[in-house]
Amino acid sequence: MKKKIISALLVAAMAVSMFAGCGSKNESEKSSDGTVTLKVFSNLPDRKNGQGLVEQMIIDEYMEENSNVKIEVEALDEEAYKTKFKAYSMEGMPDVVSIWGQPSFLDEVVEAGVLAELDKADYTDYKFIEGSLNGFTYDDKLYGLPRNTDVACIYYNEKLFQDNGWEIPTTYDELLALADKINAAGITPMAMDGGDGWPMAVYLSDVLFKLTGEDYSDVVSNAISTGDFSDENLKKATELLKGAADAKLFQNGYDSQDYGTAMNLFTNGQAAMFYMGSWESSMALNEDIPEEIRSNIRVFTMPVVDGGKAAATDIAAWNGGGYAVSANSEVKDEAIKFLNYMYQPDKLSKYGWENGVGMSAQDQSEYMTGDETKLQMQIVDAVNNATSVSGTPVNDCGPSAFKTSIESEIQSVSNGSKSVDDFLSAIGASCK
Amino acid sequence: MKKLYSNKLVILSLVLPGVLLFIFAILAPICLSVYYGFTDYSGMGSFSFIGFENYKKLMTDEAFWMSLRNSLLLAIGFICIQHPLALIVAAVLDKLGGRAESFFRCVYFIPNVISVAVIAYLWKFIYNPDFGLLNNIIKAFGGKGGTNWFSSDKAIWAVLVVLIWHGFGWGMLIYYTGIKNIDPVLYEAASIDGADQKTTFLKITLPLMKPVIQVNVTMAVISALKQMETVYLLTNGGPGNSTQFAANYLYQQAFKAFKYGYGNAIGVIFIIICLVTTVVLNKIFAEREGRRARRIREGL
Repeated sequence: MKKKIISALLVAAMAVSMFAGCGSKNESEKSSDGTVTLKVFSNLPDRKNGQGLVEQMIIDEYMEENSNVKIEVEALDEEAYKTKFKAYSMEGMPDVVSIWGQPSFLDEVVEAGVLAELDKADYTDYKFIEGSLNGFTYDDKLYGLPRNTDVACIYYNEKLFQDNGWEIPTTYDELLALADKINAAGITPMAMDGGDGWPMAVYLSDVLFKLTGEDYSDVVSNAISTGDFSDENLKKATELLKGAADAKLFQNGYDSQDYGTAMNLFTNGQAAMFYMGSWESSMALNEDIPEEIRSNIRVFTMPVVDGGKAAATDIAAWNGGGYAVSANSEVKDEAIKFLNYMYQPDKLSKYGWENGVGMSAQDQSEYMTGDETKLQMQIVDAVNNATSVSGTPVNDCGPSAFKTSIESEIQSVSNGSKSVDDFLSAIGASCK
Repeated sequence: MKKLYSNKLVILSLVLPGVLLFIFAILAPICLSVYYGFTDYSGMGSFSFIGFENYKKLMTDEAFWMSLRNSLLLAIGFICIQHPLALIVAAVLDKLGGRAESFFRCVYFIPNVISVAVIAYLWKFIYNPDFGLLNNIIKAFGGKGGTNWFSSDKAIWAVLVVLIWHGFGWGMLIYYTGIKNIDPVLYEAASIDGADQKTTFLKITLPLMKPVIQVNVTMAVISALKQMETVYLLTNGGPGNSTQFAANYLYQQAFKAFKYGYGNAIGVIFIIICLVTTVVLNKIFAEREGRRARRIREGL
């Protein structure tokens, strides 16, 4: 009998320990005393600098103004963020989330019904730059709001240019000729983060825009919807990218080097130019970069291509990252209220500008302080003087399978291990 | 106590945790993988069954075949380069004795102690074409330098060197333990018979190490197939797909390309390959064992 009791106890103990970890954690977010907990899921893990700091400042202000609201932030960097976003989409999203207003991200997410629809009429006074909401609109419904305006930039070291008598190129051929001159001086012409794939895809988009001008989005969307990339402009743009690599415009081994390594080449003065988005304009304020380099960083945009339709002032720019509200949020009203609070022009836009984060997707002209760096002003001028902007880069225009494919294949085509035609048919196949 | 152990309920309670763990952590995920492998699930929202579509696509997927080729190269590298070296080093270490022995044992094992992330970045810097250690050494010996070790034709070899170097310590340590377990009397007897170092190694150490070699080789092949983290951090399969490995490709497809169904199909093929490899390796070794046992029985 005693043994039976012991054995029964053992079994019971096992069973209990087995289920101990399976507690339910689905407590309601709105408690009885009226306090509301908002969960914010962000792709900005650095809460002390740049964009993450701006986001945190607004969150803190909102909690101060609304004492009944508690905001919990979970922040992961981009890749981890996207993976967890997917996990959340299956088991319940946090209330306010970071998103990307590009088909490669948004299409799948909206189709899965994860995001709440926003009321367009709410935002007429928010001074959003014309066209900036397009990427966040799906079937004519608005699902999110853009945070930044990103511009494809060629940063250059002005002092190096002056000392060596190099001129800023006005045509693509001049850019390649300049590469020869810089190489002859024993310096790397342009630092390129080729290991990641997407900066080269942006470069490709940049060149393609110079070729096609206002037809850019038609050419791209046509190719992606049919999976047929044989358009002569796409072919020419790819050849121009390959031509740049062949002309040794990029550093040795560019196709395997990451963001940091490429940027270091430039910020150490080993490279004369650096191809990257306008978000890196804060380099001019970064104390880790030697003074003589950071104060000499200037920028120009992709020069015109012979026979291309776009002028020098037609620039590659787009609105990428932004925020949205979860469709199944239990506190949706509060979440939308918070989202709208963030986007009041004197919040994200103003704080972002003051912290040198780059350009927002809203009109920032009234927040100019006069203390902006020359680099910042050059980018502002480029955008203000732009006769047209490209919109989303090619790699983000298709489904994410296409994005993965082009960002990997572009390395092969640029380094010559794959022919231009094979590249175009391979990325076409990934759209089907 | 003996009676307690013969009580079926007690047996059940003791076996249950292991069985449940196996079912929920291994068997169920595999079954789910097989299930999702037949769908076009993107990881979110709804999905539909598409039969063997994923598998058909996989058969013509260049990147997948490239990743399998690379895994195979790595397995061959492990078996033909890493393990013979590890075995010889282990045998030499065993003969060293004293302080030198424990010193070198530590030195050879150090790469395994360092985190994979550190290893990856360390080698990224060693291979860097501009300031990398490797090119500088070549320059110091009068070479030209400036070689891009991660160019699409060289990258796979550069990655293999890192992986073979990194896994070396484990292999060596296991061989070393195996050698330490060999009865020293045998060596004494051999030396009395006038056997030299080479003969002792070939006729005593090697034959007695067979079971250890078997375990080690199986583990090496499986780890070659499963290789992911070092490659992910070192090249992430690039440039192009020239250093793609199956596990990394699976991750890219399932989580970055939002092709969860396709990723699972890769996973299923992957499981099958791992299982078949293990069975084949066991068969090969079992046959050897069988032949040896027969020879002994027949008095050869």
